[in-house]
Amino acid sequence: MNKILIISFICSISFGILSGAEQKFTFDKEAYSFDNIVQEELFYSLLVELRCPKCQSSNLSGSNSPISNDLKREVYELVIKEKSAEEIKAYLVERYGNFIIYNPPIEPATYILWFGPFLLIILSLGSIILYRRKQA
Amino acid sequence: MKKLLDTLPLVIFVTLIIVLFSFLSNEDNQLETVLIDESFPEFSLTSLTDTTKILAKSDISELPALINVWATWCIACKVEHPFLMKLKEESILPIYGLNYKDNRNKAIALLKADGDPFEFSIFDFEGRLAIDLGVYGAPETFFIDKSGVIRVRHVGVIDDKVWKEKFAKYLDE
Repeated sequence: MNKILIISFICSISFGILSGAEQKFTFDKEAYSFDNIVQEELFYSLLVELRCPKCQSSNLSGSNSPISNDLKREVYELVIKEKSAEEIKAYLVERYGNFIIYNPPIEPATYILWFGPFLLIILSLGSIILYRRKQA
Repeated sequence: MKKLLDTLPLVIFVTLIIVLFSFLSNEDNQLETVLIDESFPEFSLTSLTDTTKILAKSDISELPALINVWATWCIACKVEHPFLMKLKEESILPIYGLNYKDNRNKAIALLKADGDPFEFSIFDFEGRLAIDLGVYGAPETFFIDKSGVIRVRHVGVIDDKVWKEKFAKYLDE
């Protein structure tokens, strides 16, 4: 019984790591040219971090929907204007809300998102320990 | 007490399933609206019917009004079109169109064929004003009150029911 618990715990953790690992670019990268490597890196890192509002489970870099392409253009123009990552994200959150960023800020509305999983772990570990003690 | 403890995991499991299922049926998929109670953004875009006419926020002069995001490629817009016509015919309030990422000629032809419920339509081929409004599809409808502030945003088809539930109360303010 103990072994099964440990194995399933490890599995669930590694799935979480794997799902975040791969990043695809499904659009024409030639269309964007940059003054320097810093701008280019900022642009591509933002596309991974920003979410497509239409498709809801894909980031901008992985989506070719019209709205994603518009947002890529918007991000591109802001990067070229030497805006910082924080400024660009704030600009988009102002229009699309926290939904647009995959890394939402810790605030009352997102507490359950950030702390819910830990609460679940504590609750389930607690109940397992309690249950085993009762049995012993 | 022991019995209660034994059934607790089952109770938690069942509650979780019910809660998660209720999220599944919540098909609305509406994103939170950031612009509520903000003033309508500035813009500078051409008129749909006149390429030489540049429209700006000040052209949306009759308030309160609706701003309706539409396009010929948008099937749901065809569904709500008769309702917009009805609002116009009964002179409930002026409607301004935001033609979104569309073909100009097709859009003009559609208004000629099916009727034009709009005071005018703003031609937003690149989706510039749309991004400032947080638009991610069509149709979307915004209600702007008499001081130019966005009060309601509705994503999807607007019909009698939606009008009564979401919009009508702001008209009487």
